[in-house]
Amino acid sequence: MRRHERLIVAAGALGLFVLWEVLVRLGRIDASLAPAPSTILDALSRLLRRPEVLASLGVTAWEVLAAFLIAVPLGLGLGFLLAEVSALDALFRPLVNFLFGVPKSIFLPVFILVFGVSIPQKIAFGVFTTIFVLIVGGVAAVQSVPRELVTVGRVYGATRWQVVREIYLPAMAPILLESARLGMVFNITAVLLCEIYGARDGIGYRIAAWGENLQMPQLYAALVLVAAAAVAVNEALRLVETRLGAWRQRS
Amino acid sequence: MTRALVAIRSVSQRFGVDGASVPALEAIDLEIPDGQFVAVVGPSGCGKSTLLSLVAGLRVPSSGTVLCDGEPITAPMPRKVGMIFQEANLLPWLSAEDNVAFPLKLRRVARAERLAAARRMLELTGLAGFETRLPHQLSGGMKQRVAIARGLVQNPAVLLMDEPFASLDEQTRMVLGDELLRIWSETRKTVLFVTHSLNEAVYLADRVVVLSARPGRVVDDVAVDLPRPRSFAMTSSERFGVLKDRIWQHIKHAERR
Repeated sequence: MRRHERLIVAAGALGLFVLWEVLVRLGRIDASLAPAPSTILDALSRLLRRPEVLASLGVTAWEVLAAFLIAVPLGLGLGFLLAEVSALDALFRPLVNFLFGVPKSIFLPVFILVFGVSIPQKIAFGVFTTIFVLIVGGVAAVQSVPRELVTVGRVYGATRWQVVREIYLPAMAPILLESARLGMVFNITAVLLCEIYGARDGIGYRIAAWGENLQMPQLYAALVLVAAAAVAVNEALRLVETRLGAWRQRS
Repeated sequence: MTRALVAIRSVSQRFGVDGASVPALEAIDLEIPDGQFVAVVGPSGCGKSTLLSLVAGLRVPSSGTVLCDGEPITAPMPRKVGMIFQEANLLPWLSAEDNVAFPLKLRRVARAERLAAARRMLELTGLAGFETRLPHQLSGGMKQRVAIARGLVQNPAVLLMDEPFASLDEQTRMVLGDELLRIWSETRKTVLFVTHSLNEAVYLADRVVVLSARPGRVVDDVAVDLPRPRSFAMTSSERFGVLKDRIWQHIKHAERR
């Protein structure tokens, strides 16, 4: 985005908030359903000073991170395996494709039955939701490596390990990172869904509680917080992706 | 005649296709002396590229032997043989100089040393000033120059070229042909050059080996007695026409079958 475009977007957003604020103050919007932006900001600053809220954020962050750190190597590894071993691919690809398209949320009750309402349950459900996009991404990454580049490596005497490190990994890096970023989006959604559905702690648990008690300023403040965190993680991953994928031809 | 640097001795190659064994090359015998520029032509599908991949050590012949410097080729010999493909096949995430240095990196040559060698090769191939460009920032002809520099960077005795100019436009092809001859006269590599173009074959080579349709056999071995350095004017000379016509007669018959 060019600079003046950014300014327009920022001005537009600001205008919207000002309009919202004015309409609430004029009594045209019901403040008990949609509190004024100033009220939400105020609630946000108070939330950030409450240790138990910060602790809940920490629990959620831990669950998200743990699920991500398990799902990424596991999912990509399974993807590589499917891409390289055609027998496994024939056996498991239909299952992966089937589950890829099924909404994972319908399995949540099963996870509660198996793991109980617990942190491992959140992590397991996060992994389950994330892993399919990573398997599919892993397969796509391997298949994206041009055969000719592998031939070049062989002609110039690359060992098997050098072919992997010098050709496969850099060639696959942009797709791997893209899969990880997409997986992270699924992962955050899954963990929050778990927490909202049933939990003892975590920011999703608090959001559900505030919603049930009609504590709208806190609810909206938490939404702002979670949205900001999710966007920050996404943009950070995208930044790495752009850096490592700068060689990809943009036409 | 100097001693043969590359010797292809009664080489046959068969491929398994749908359970059947299809012959691709049959009883090829070629002795290529050090420093000779040999073009290989033949009708489409005659096994020209297969022949190159045997010399490159990318496959082992079904029967017969390929020798380089007296040593049988059973695997790629990167220090003796450099290869250039129809497409440049550069690693798109590496700069021009890192691409040229890539074969040295595989041999764990120190970075400063391999980059110095790469820059020398880029200068030889007319790309000084483009060292840090990424492949997608280079034109087709420039990419192929990088590939040639990469093929030369280990100073191999043999350069294998598999239709290296086939995907370039005509002007670029002619300019690169002259560049290749200049580089060849400066480095005196043994060149095995596969091409579709009879003009290119006669213009560049000392000798044109003509293969028959599949399975490929050597049907003619034409010594190109045009003087060097070659010039564009020679392409309209009578001798050029005679040589080209002799080769064309073989190919015409094969393509008609």
